[in-house]
Amino acid sequence: MLEVRHLTKIYDDGTVALSDVSFTVRPGEFLVIIGLSGSGKSTLLRCINRLHDPTDGAIVWDGVEVTAAQGEDLRRVRRQIGMVFQQFNLVKRSSVLTNVLTGRLGYVNPAASLIHMFPAADRDLAWKALDRVGLRDQAHKQARELSGGQQQRVGIARALMQQPRMILADEPVASLDPVLAHSILGYLEQLNREDHITVLCSLHYLDLVQKYATQVIGLRAGRLVWQGTGEDVRRMTDSEFKDVYGEDAVRTSAGLTGEEEKP
Amino acid sequence: MKMNRASREEPPSRIPPWAAGICSLVVPGLGQALARSVWRGVLVLVSAAAILGMLIWRVDILGHLQTTAAAKLAKAFDLQPGFTSILIVSVLLIWIWNAWDARLQAKNGRGGFVMFALILFAFFALGWQISEISPSKLVTDFPQAMKPLGQVVWPWKAAVVREPILSVAGASIIVPTAANGGPPPDPVVAGKPHLASVPRTGELSLLDENNMAVPGTTLHLTASGFRAGIPVEMWWVDPLGNNFQLRKSGSYLTVMPDEKGAFTVDIVMPYSLGPSAKGKEDPHRVEARQTIGLAPMKASEPLLLVIQRMVETIFMGMMATLFGIILSIPVSFLAARNIMSGSPILVAIYYFTRTVLNVIRAIEPLIWALIAVVWVGLGPFAGIVALTVHSVAALGKLYSEAIEGIDPGPIEAIQATGATRLQTIMYAVVPQMVSPFVSFSIYRWDVNVRMSTVIGLVGGGGVGFILVQYIRLLDYRAAGIAVWFIAITVAILDYVSAEIRARFV
Repeated sequence: MLEVRHLTKIYDDGTVALSDVSFTVRPGEFLVIIGLSGSGKSTLLRCINRLHDPTDGAIVWDGVEVTAAQGEDLRRVRRQIGMVFQQFNLVKRSSVLTNVLTGRLGYVNPAASLIHMFPAADRDLAWKALDRVGLRDQAHKQARELSGGQQQRVGIARALMQQPRMILADEPVASLDPVLAHSILGYLEQLNREDHITVLCSLHYLDLVQKYATQVIGLRAGRLVWQGTGEDVRRMTDSEFKDVYGEDAVRTSAGLTGEEEKP
Repeated sequence: MKMNRASREEPPSRIPPWAAGICSLVVPGLGQALARSVWRGVLVLVSAAAILGMLIWRVDILGHLQTTAAAKLAKAFDLQPGFTSILIVSVLLIWIWNAWDARLQAKNGRGGFVMFALILFAFFALGWQISEISPSKLVTDFPQAMKPLGQVVWPWKAAVVREPILSVAGASIIVPTAANGGPPPDPVVAGKPHLASVPRTGELSLLDENNMAVPGTTLHLTASGFRAGIPVEMWWVDPLGNNFQLRKSGSYLTVMPDEKGAFTVDIVMPYSLGPSAKGKEDPHRVEARQTIGLAPMKASEPLLLVIQRMVETIFMGMMATLFGIILSIPVSFLAARNIMSGSPILVAIYYFTRTVLNVIRAIEPLIWALIAVVWVGLGPFAGIVALTVHSVAALGKLYSEAIEGIDPGPIEAIQATGATRLQTIMYAVVPQMVSPFVSFSIYRWDVNVRMSTVIGLVGGGGVGFILVQYIRLLDYRAAGIAVWFIAITVAILDYVSAEIRARFV
């Protein structure tokens, strides 16, 4: 159970990114965060694994107060939370295999890892993760040689290496075309359903939201303005839509689910 | 300037156009200034003053022997009529046009750029004279330069030598006259040349107290065993081992042996080169030398020396690069803005490091070499010190920019896996740094070897050190060998460094 209580984040330059956001995620949910660019989606996700420190409020995950964790405790929390990024954030000049292995850094002996020594069990795990995203034969290529969709699959494999109980995905498909978007979200859905990993994912396209989300929250200017299930998105009224996306937003394709199934 | 542009339309001139013209005739630029084109006025005044000042300076130099201004001017006209008249006409034109310009400025705020074209013309005319440009020299001095330049362009005659094979016979002569008649003659050996002297002791030529020449003893020489038909040179060897060829009435003395290889010749003992020990018998020697052939070719001394110095040069560049890399890595972190942000102290260190690096980089390696030579003396180490100092600054800047340019995304991603700080640096920062690091380092090695070829010019060791010596000795062939080796090395290095960098990036 992940509880976010009265979370507020104000950046050093005075920008209020989040203000008094509270919500709860039950284990095994696929929570999608919707909202405009700059509404605080990325900040919220980064507060949960403390890449950013919240200004106020608390995040409690399975009884552990993440917001109070420091040093070793914080790293122990982080290693159980996988993260997938819009720009993939792979180390482009390292091999695919090394990129996947870095997902294990929170578990291995820090000194041995500095000279690229990983236990055999972890190497097996890396190959399994690569198998799972279908990239075994690309393992020794440099990450930069892969296409966008492949890179994001490496990103997922890296998150998988952490054997996470939760995955944070920050607009994981915003840099990809619609077909690839379904492919990537399909992987996340599979992890969510089969491995019972809680997924927190920010998304732009409402049709994707309807298809994958079990729970949805809407942010606008750092405030929580909408909450519902994936089904509720379909029934969203125009005024609720404008609450999330602003007065100027025009609703076009929401409610349509005409995309292909994942390949 | 913006103010000027805006006000040009709006407020009219303070004074009527004709008054502005007269003002500018008195003081250039004054009219423009009063017509509210202040910047234009200042520019005209400063330019006119500078041109006039420099004209007076140059005329003063041309007529430096003259005392009055008029005489100096006349002398200047005499020496350089073109320059002097062009500039005087320019100054007059600028003066007159400036008045016209002031009138236009006051009238409608427009003046065009004729004024500035004239000023520029005057400056270029001055520049031509001050920097002593003379294209005609390129043509007239060319025939003179042909020979040394040709030797530099194709110096390989000096790259090998064939030493002559000599057939030598000699006789020892005791100075001063010895009672025993001198040493016994060398024994005659069949098939070897032989030289016998009568007498075998005597006095050297000298100048008496009235500077009158007193000829030395005449020696009657009889030679045998030389080859027929090849001239024989007569040499004198003093007790210190100095060799000099004997002369007879001003020209070198050579003798042609007869068909049996024998000859006789009379020589007068030469002047003494050094002071002789008083009251002591000095053994001198007279020698007959015949060149009977040439030894096989071998590398000349300049060629061997250039090769040695070239190797030294390449290693100088390598060592300087190594030290530069080692020292610049820590420095580059201090000079990277993304690393040094966070606290005012760090930012202060960042600015301090940047400033120091910029100052060091602004000073050429040749200047650093001059300083290093004073510090550690002539030789390659001074060059290494100079190149290291410059490399630290140059590489520090390049590396720090590479650090500033790394993608923060992977750092965030590795942090999110629960990695420690050190792991994050190892897995997210280092892989991003390797390629620019290798690329910049090799580039710097290339630059350092190229620089070390010239750093010898100021005493920093390497091939430049002997290059400048050969040039001063007017030994253009040897200098040409050095130039060739520098060119070949630099070309190879250029290619190799570009190849390696292309593979890494």
